[in-house]
Amino acid sequence: MIFRSHLLSMILYAAFVAIVLSFLRRDEKKSGLKYGLVMFAVMVGGAILFGWLMYLFTL
Amino acid sequence: MRKRVLCLRLKIVKMSSAMKIKGVVMMVLGWAVPGLGHLAQKKYVRGAVFFGCIAAMTALGFAHGGRIYPFQTENPLTILAFFADIGNGLLYLLSRFIPVGVGDLKLATFEFGTAYIAGAGLLNFLIALDAYDIAAGTKS
Repeated sequence: MIFRSHLLSMILYAAFVAIVLSFLRRDEKKSGLKYGLVMFAVMVGGAILFGWLMYLFTL
Repeated sequence: MRKRVLCLRLKIVKMSSAMKIKGVVMMVLGWAVPGLGHLAQKKYVRGAVFFGCIAAMTALGFAHGGRIYPFQTENPLTILAFFADIGNGLLYLLSRFIPVGVGDLKLATFEFGTAYIAGAGLLNFLIALDAYDIAAGTKS
């Protein structure tokens, strides 16, 4: 068991997916970097938001 | 819009059978080993990045105790995992013969590991299709 933190595992997963998708979807470096950063932010932000949304059901 | 559709049709018509065969070969190479389809077309940076990312994701999946699912109908949900896992190409085939990706349900990270391996497989499908597009001339 490398990562005891699920958050860290999720962030790393999002980083890898964002890198691959940015290289697949964009040919230029600048737009690829922007696309990758947006994808990463959406995935991590979305997961945290969804996590808090699920937390509401435990109250 | 109509003009664009016409352009796309022309591209499809212009694609020769040799290009199609080359595209399929590159796609199969890309599926077998992540990034190999790009490396064979002299897209070295892209190929290296794809291989690095997919290999790292798969290695992390194994380190987390993830499982590669075979085709089984007892639990229908695992059929979806199977289709994701076959995207890992040669690694999937190897996992049928040697004990890799057997998974360890006792670990708290089992689900994460399985998701890492399945995610790597799904991304590799996209990478293989990208290699086909480059070989067919529909993408640079």
